[in-house]
Order: sequence, then structure tokens, then C-alpha cells
Amino acid sequence: MMNEALIQQIIFDALESLNTELPDDKQIAIGPDTPLFGSNAEIDSLSLVSLIVDVETALNGEHDLEISLTDDRAMTREISPFSDVRALKEYVLELIKEGSHGN
Amino acid sequence: METDRYLGKSIIVTGSRRGVGHSIAEYMLAQGGRVFGFSRGESMISHSNYAHYSLDVGNAKDVQSAFFKISKETDAVDIVINNAAVLTSQYALIMPAVNAQAMVNTNLLGTFFVSREAAKIMKKSKRGGRIINIGSMAASLEPIGDSIYAACKAGVSTLANVMAKEFGSFGVTCNTLGITAIDSDMLAQLPREKIDQIIQSLPIPRYATIDDILNVVNFFASERSSYITAQTVFLGGIN
Repeated sequence: MMNEALIQQIIFDALESLNTELPDDKQIAIGPDTPLFGSNAEIDSLSLVSLIVDVETALNGEHDLEISLTDDRAMTREISPFSDVRALKEYVLELIKEGSHGN
Repeated sequence: METDRYLGKSIIVTGSRRGVGHSIAEYMLAQGGRVFGFSRGESMISHSNYAHYSLDVGNAKDVQSAFFKISKETDAVDIVINNAAVLTSQYALIMPAVNAQAMVNTNLLGTFFVSREAAKIMKKSKRGGRIINIGSMAASLEPIGDSIYAACKAGVSTLANVMAKEFGSFGVTCNTLGITAIDSDMLAQLPREKIDQIIQSLPIPRYATIDDILNVVNFFASERSSYITAQTVFLGGIN
């Protein structure tokens, strides 16, 4: 059963995976409020894409949830669901509740 | 003669029901590969290592759903052959909008949707991958009547070139094979005289064979080709 803690862990795992590809001075401090997008974020755009894909494939592959994190709604929201870990977690929860598979 | 070139490889072939896609899929199966075929119609291939997905590659949701199912069947996608295409040859002034839209959806967006979903699995598998787009001589020759088709085929080269930059960091190469005319259902839709005339103007004035196509596909798909990306190779001396 997918819950908030598990979703947060999936995002943390993706960030840890990202850290393995980053140099020591670019390591991301991982926490519930880690910024992912915007002026406070330390993650560049390509790394953010990588993170989103890692979270999406983990949800698809390991948790059998057919979810797309990059549908039209995600891209057009006033407040981005990718702004920080918490926002992303809540967006994933929202998609699961809706059973939304977006494109 | 080699018979296991694709042993242990999982391969997606779009447009696998007929023509070039069908031949590529059968060849890769004969070479030990596991093939997942996409086409709008039902399967025309019966083989224990073949799984068919009836879908429209121009529909992002259908493509995503197919890859979701494929990810349950295999941990990796090693090779993608983006071959699915539709063709309406008509003067631009009288080209029906619906036919123009269909070409963009299948030939260009279909290639985009399939490539990006495959790349997600390739990234996760950490095995890299090969994305091979089937282009066309039309992209270079720009024949009258093929405005949208030629633009789409030029577009798939550009898609590959950009994706090569985006996917290179996780070992995925993206290339395009620009094929010349080959006897197929698609060719039968065109006036033979017009195609003969084009073929006669080529440096090597003959129709392509499936072996010509497989030769370049094998090159791009080879594990040794990890340093070959963002390239378009035309058959028959076109450049």
C-alpha cells in the first residue's frame, strides 16, 4: 500500500542516486523540504528531469503504479509540483488518489 | 553465418506488422532477440520470442501504457527501431489536413513518444541502449508531393540528434537510417514511374534491399557502436 512515507522514501532514493553522479561540492542535502526547482534549488534542469524519471520509473516498475509525472497538468500548474520534495510527494499522492495516468 | 547477434537483447520494433518493420522484427527474432512489436493492427508474426502490442504510436497514453506492460516483462530495453510511418503523397495545395496530421502524429510524434518511454527504461536498467530511427531519402531529396512526409523524416533525424545529447549520459545512442525505396506496401501507394526516376538519379541507381537496411541497423545496434550517435546514414549515395 502506497503511503506518504513510502513516496517520500522513493524521492529520497532518487535524490541519493542523483548524488552518486554529482561531485562532492555539489551534493544535495536530502530532506522533506529540499528544493527541486526554482531559485533556491541546487539541482540543474537536467538533474531534475533525471530525478522525475527515476521517481516515475520506480512507481511504475517497483510499485506497479501506471503514473506519469509529466502530464499537461504538472507543467501548467501555478505552483510547480516539482518545487520541492514535499510538493512532489503530494502530487504523487494526488495522482494515486485520482488513478490518473495522464500523458 | 551468425545466428545469435541479438541473443539476450530486448528489442522494440514499431510498425512491425508489414514491410520494413516486419522484416527487421523477423530478422532480430531469427538472430535470437526478444522482440516487442508495435502496430495499429494485429500481429503478423508468430514466434515464441515475439509479443505484439496493437496501438497507435501517435497516442502518448497508449505508448506509455504499452511500456508499462513491457516493463513487467523485461528489466531492459536494449534496442528501439522507430519504423512506424504513414504516407500520403499529394501536392501541398490539396493535401487533406487529416492526412497531414496523421503523418505528423505517427511519423514524428510516434517516434518521440516511443523513444522517450524506451529511454526511461534504458536509464533505469543502466545497460544503455540504441535508438534507431528509420528515416527516408525523402528528407534529403525533398520530392514534390512529399512536403509533410519529408518534413517528418527530416524531423526524426533532428529528434535523434537532440535525444542523443539528452540520453548520452546514460549510454543511449540515437541515430537515423535514411532508407531509399524498397518494394513494400508503402511504395505501392506511389506512382512507380516517379520512384523509378528518382532511383535512376542516385549514385547507386537501384532499389534498396532488406539486407542493405539490416546492414546499417546492425551497425547502429552493435555494442561496438557506443561512440556512434546523432548520425544519419543514407543508403544509395544520398547525402
